Amino acid sequence: MPEGLKINKGAQEAVRELLCSLLESGRVNGVLALGRTRGANGGVAYSLFTDSDAFVADGAALPFLPFMPANAGGLLSRLTLKGSLAGPVAAVVKPCELRAFIELVKRSQGSLDNLLLISSTCGGVYPLDVGANGGLEERLPRYWEAVKQGEVDSDVRPVCRACVHFVPENADITVALVGEEDLDTQCTLFLDTEKGAAFVKGLEGLQGTSLSGELETEPIQRSHSQRAAYREELFAGVEVGMQELIRTFGRCIGCHACKTVCPICYCSLCYFDSQDCEYLPEIYESELERKGGLRLPPNTVFFQLGRLAHVSVSCVGCGMCTDVCPADIPVSTIFSKVGTSVQALFDYQPGKDVTEEIPLMTFEEEELAQVAT
Amino acid sequence: MNDKGAILPAENGVEAAVVGWLKEALNKKVFDALLMPVQVPAGDSFAYLLLQNPALLENGSPLPPVMPVQGARAISRLTMRGNGSKRIAAVVRPCEARAAIELTKLEQAHLDNLWLITVDCPGVLPLSDYLDDPAAGAARFVEASQHWDRAPMRPVCQICHRFSMPASDLHVGTLGSADGAVFVIPGSPKGERVLESMDMPVDAALDDWAAQVKEMEEAQTERRQQAHADLRAGIAGPDGLLDVFSDCINCHNCQRVCPVCYCRQCYFESAALKLPPENYLTRSKRKGALRFPPDTLLFHIGRASHMILSCVSCGACEDACPMSIPVAQVFSLLADRAQETFGYVAGKSLDDPLPLVAYEMDEFHQVEQPYVEIYHKREVQDA
Repeated sequence: MPEGLKINKGAQEAVRELLCSLLESGRVNGVLALGRTRGANGGVAYSLFTDSDAFVADGAALPFLPFMPANAGGLLSRLTLKGSLAGPVAAVVKPCELRAFIELVKRSQGSLDNLLLISSTCGGVYPLDVGANGGLEERLPRYWEAVKQGEVDSDVRPVCRACVHFVPENADITVALVGEEDLDTQCTLFLDTEKGAAFVKGLEGLQGTSLSGELETEPIQRSHSQRAAYREELFAGVEVGMQELIRTFGRCIGCHACKTVCPICYCSLCYFDSQDCEYLPEIYESELERKGGLRLPPNTVFFQLGRLAHVSVSCVGCGMCTDVCPADIPVSTIFSKVGTSVQALFDYQPGKDVTEEIPLMTFEEEELAQVAT
Repeated sequence: MNDKGAILPAENGVEAAVVGWLKEALNKKVFDALLMPVQVPAGDSFAYLLLQNPALLENGSPLPPVMPVQGARAISRLTMRGNGSKRIAAVVRPCEARAAIELTKLEQAHLDNLWLITVDCPGVLPLSDYLDDPAAGAARFVEASQHWDRAPMRPVCQICHRFSMPASDLHVGTLGSADGAVFVIPGSPKGERVLESMDMPVDAALDDWAAQVKEMEEAQTERRQQAHADLRAGIAGPDGLLDVFSDCINCHNCQRVCPVCYCRQCYFESAALKLPPENYLTRSKRKGALRFPPDTLLFHIGRASHMILSCVSCGACEDACPMSIPVAQVFSLLADRAQETFGYVAGKSLDDPLPLVAYEMDEFHQVEQPYVEIYHKREVQDA
């Protein structure tokens, strides 16, 4: 049974104080968390905070804001790409961001060393355009009401409503939010690893009673089945056969924004943006002779298929790709659906276990028999 | 500019007239292929299609309601590695033609075997507005463009003053034409030869067209200056820029769809900016926090300094911004001022050298002066 702490303060306040104490005590050198950017428009961005002032009441940091301006898995990769952290840094991230980071670590794009990973059970995030249109603030009261009831607000990203992995894997500390009716006055957090427990133990200013409980409460299970049902519905709404993909991606403008924001797409230069795809005029002309007409720029559906082949096994269904698509294509629903099938085929769950090899990196003698025959 | 044009009958509208004319050109082998916007099979958008099969022209649309891909990018992909052997007519909007001219000067496109064909442009709808309901969007576009009402168009289309003939080979003038006909105006010897070989005499006076274009240009210039003055008040100085870009999520999609930002890999996505963790922490400690990923505003300023002299104010960046930041409006203001400083207009002519490539002995003394007066003395002292 996991060990935890019960703190007599609202969950958001308690976590802010915890982060404040971690910084002030010098137990961590920095905290990666969401925060308000400066300026009249007041955008939301991830920041690497080193000053504890950000975490006092009305400070800039907003650790559990239901918004994802970037998948933090990619940001943790950026932070640790060139080497492990020399000293501890905490990061408050959502479960899918954590899963994405685990997948990146497996690909040697980051390091878990010296990271204190704090996550929570997750009620989803609002699409970027809600933030862009200034609609985030007004939705927060009903968002938190839904989270308390173990429900999912209908305006969050479709893939969030359909997310069945909203209980974090591999967090050092997990904050219970979904289905916690008293989260305005009580904070329940689970110390999932020895590392998590060690950071919190004896921390000045942290007053809580230890508890031994289950993270997987009844509301969590209920939310899981609700989301699983919506997942079926959502996936049924997109067809992923070749003809359907050609039709759906017909309005793709080839901007590759889906790739740019995808945490799993880590290549510094995508093949489809490389010199290999800058063809001689003769190539276009012979294609033109063959087909009578061809789309420019080329490789619209080919790019999507290539990306599916490269990332689907590790797709964490975060929804960034849909949010940035200027052509309003439900990219993440398609990728999530295909990803789920591919992952089932390999009995693989992205982000679950950092020691488990990526299916395409391992070889089992008997598994290719069906291809061989 | 030519003061005479050919007459093209257009009883069934401009689009049908242009498509019919180009079909004839294709059949007469005046061109080997066409590059033009064609409605996609699902009917919910348009894409550039290079075609030589005239049957594919059925869904061709010289003036689609949206600009999903900036046409200069399509031209550049086709010709970046040299002139092809086929003679291709590219039907693009004036700002797309101007971007194609910039890309040619930047050696990212080759126009020797390509004819730029443009039409007086009413603007385009923002892509997301159109995609909300493509059929309604198309109707709204047709209705508005009939009256040259730019209100539903992209914000930079609303303040566009270069909507008419750019340095294209052939331009279709729809303003000031008699009912049921439009002008086809040659802009180059290449264009003249096309009209000759299609037996289209260039004998119609263009006075009415020119007068209406001039009148609209003047009105649009005034709107542009007013809009820029309003915008400038909000974005002046580092604080103003931080405000306007405060929502930016660093997806760099503005750069990805920009026809002029042609670098295969942007510096801001390169290994040069992937730094050891201590670097980020040190920078954070200086200020208490470091936005992550860092360099949000630096990216926009860097991009502006690289491409602003060639910015054609097409609005592709703003359409592609997931955070609805008025990127194109900000860049149109910066572009007008930067280009004015160099007496340069992006896309105006293949013959005007790019300001940063040309060097004049007698320019920018105001930059030299501080060096001579201040820094040189200091250097001498320090030595």
